[in-house]
Amino acid sequence: MLRRLPYRIQIPLGLALAVALSAFLVSVVTAHLTAARVHADIMSTVERVVAMLGEQGRPLLAQDDTWQAYTLLRSAATLLPAHHLGASRAALLDAHGRYLAGSEPKIQPTGEQALGTLSHGRLLPTPSDVTQPRTVTAQDGSLSWLQPVRSDDDEVLGFVLAEVDALAFAPNWWTLSRPALIGMALSLAVLVPIGWRLGRRMTQPIAQIARCIAAIGGDDPRAVRPRLPRVSDPELQRITGAVDRLLLELQARQAAAQRALAVERLAAVGRITAAVAHEINNPLAGLITVTQTLRLHSEDPTQRGRCIDLLERGLQQIRTMTTALLPQARVEERCLNEQDFDDVLTLATPQAEQHQVELSSTRELNARLCAPATVLRQVMLNLLLNAIKAAGPNGRVSACLSADTSKLCFFCCNTGQHLSNQALASRATSTAGDDPQGFGLWICHEIAVRFNGQFYSVSPDELSPPFVTGLFFSIPNQRRHDPQAPVTD
Amino acid sequence: MTARVGYPVVFVARETYRSVLDLLFSDQLDAAWICGYPYTLYRSRLNLISTPLYRGRPVYQAYLINNGRPESPIRGWVDLKGRVLAYADPLSNSGWLVAQSQLRSAGLGARDLRRGFFARGHRNVAEAVASGLAHAGCIDGYVWETMRRQGMAAAHQTGVIWRSPWYGFPPLVSRLGASDGLIARLTEALLGMHRDDQGQALLDALNLSGFAAPNPALYESIAAMARAVQPASV
Repeated sequence: MLRRLPYRIQIPLGLALAVALSAFLVSVVTAHLTAARVHADIMSTVERVVAMLGEQGRPLLAQDDTWQAYTLLRSAATLLPAHHLGASRAALLDAHGRYLAGSEPKIQPTGEQALGTLSHGRLLPTPSDVTQPRTVTAQDGSLSWLQPVRSDDDEVLGFVLAEVDALAFAPNWWTLSRPALIGMALSLAVLVPIGWRLGRRMTQPIAQIARCIAAIGGDDPRAVRPRLPRVSDPELQRITGAVDRLLLELQARQAAAQRALAVERLAAVGRITAAVAHEINNPLAGLITVTQTLRLHSEDPTQRGRCIDLLERGLQQIRTMTTALLPQARVEERCLNEQDFDDVLTLATPQAEQHQVELSSTRELNARLCAPATVLRQVMLNLLLNAIKAAGPNGRVSACLSADTSKLCFFCCNTGQHLSNQALASRATSTAGDDPQGFGLWICHEIAVRFNGQFYSVSPDELSPPFVTGLFFSIPNQRRHDPQAPVTD
Repeated sequence: MTARVGYPVVFVARETYRSVLDLLFSDQLDAAWICGYPYTLYRSRLNLISTPLYRGRPVYQAYLINNGRPESPIRGWVDLKGRVLAYADPLSNSGWLVAQSQLRSAGLGARDLRRGFFARGHRNVAEAVASGLAHAGCIDGYVWETMRRQGMAAAHQTGVIWRSPWYGFPPLVSRLGASDGLIARLTEALLGMHRDDQGQALLDALNLSGFAAPNPALYESIAAMARAVQPASV
């Protein structure tokens, strides 16, 4: 947990703990040394008090003067250790061992027998056993001093009794530890603010670097770099230098990305322009052929009407395509019908004849068609023209329009060089703009994606010879086209 | 007092009446405030100057006090058997003589007490009882009441369990043969003390209300009691 704290807290806390630990150890050692010294001091003090009471109490014992003995004991007892805690007391006993007076009369009742009785857990000897000064020790460490008081003719006038309870011998931890605690408090008062300042001074540049690193990805690197701290410490200089280099590289990368984006935007504009031109150019080629036909067979009303209808639908396709490229435009779309498939075949036939390609078609329509006609006409025309180009002279192209209740499919295969699915995906998603052939495929791919359909290259194993390349396009059937639906790039 | 008497007045305090009497009889004192009992003992050698008025009367009572606790077993003189009794002074009426008379009346002798001792003063009697040194004490009622009035702890830690009949208040006396003029001026100053503010302040401090003219008859009851207790003494 300590390691999770910031340095500005760790350092003063560590200093405080070190000081506290030192104070604790010093107090423990001092307590042991002092306890032994205190015991000796207590013994010495009590012996002196007993000696003094023996001298001054002699006339009082001789006169049986309880009051004077009491006043003497009351004063002398204050010299005994821990007297203020009630842990020590003194008394003068008469020759029979009864209290003449005690410093604490309530626990040393005047006139009551003291010697030969149990006093505070200590069995005191009988008067005849106290011929010399002696001590009585209890199990809890408390002590009783007894000293006979004799007259000039060596008669026993009485006894001095001093009692010290175990409490007086117990180390006074507060007194023992007070110097260390005061020293510790003073040390902490100085060290904690110093440690705080040191910790903050030490971590300030690190925190600033951390804030700069956190800003990477969010703020502009050019705005972040000036916020890096100027440090003199070699280690911090290395960190700051590394972050600065990182910011420089990021700055350069962002500039390159912006340039690439600009180029990409220009390329996208170019692709759209090329696509528009390509999409318009395809029907235009067919329409030109129709005009030639119209010129040659204008006198035949049936042929003329058919050509005019073809021209109208072709122009309508161009109009729809250009309008559809405007995202804001709302186009009234109709469903595909078999006539559209015929139109596409008609438009592609001149190109096939030009390239000496045999064009055949089939249809398997098992459900009502309901798919955007313009889009599908564009897809079918694109795929047919691409297949014709791919098939080359004397090649063959086959187109099949099929539909069931769930989807509408257009399958176009040719005898040209095989186009793998991977190559198709590469061309369909190419953004380089260096593959003009890919524009049509790209348009097909985008339409498939936009209408939740499929567009892929069929494996050669699944094709009937002599066809080697087959492109399969499908979109859901019986579903109205929503011209406002977003186009996925 | 010096201004009133016209003679330098010095107050001297001693622990015991014996010490005071020794100074008086050795002509080291001109006058003394002693107990009625030593006055009756040495009436032939003493001249009665005046008797203080306590609460307006020249009489007082002796008290028997205990530690003041309701659970104290000492409720009267009879209960003192096997107990420790503190006396004030061997020449004190309230602090010794009355106690001897009452103990005798209770059928108790000196040996029936566990211990009896003199505390050298009435105030010390109260302290001895309060501290537990003695179970009971014989004290001058005027001194005990004055101690309580002055807020002394020893008085508040003790309680009165017996009050004596009224006795003549401890008088001011002089040695026979002392200067008549001096004693007359002293008597006049004492009797007139309550008439001025300074004197009244002194009386208030002493818890007295004034001084009365000498009346030896006041102390007859003490003398009678002394004769009863110690026939040979008076």
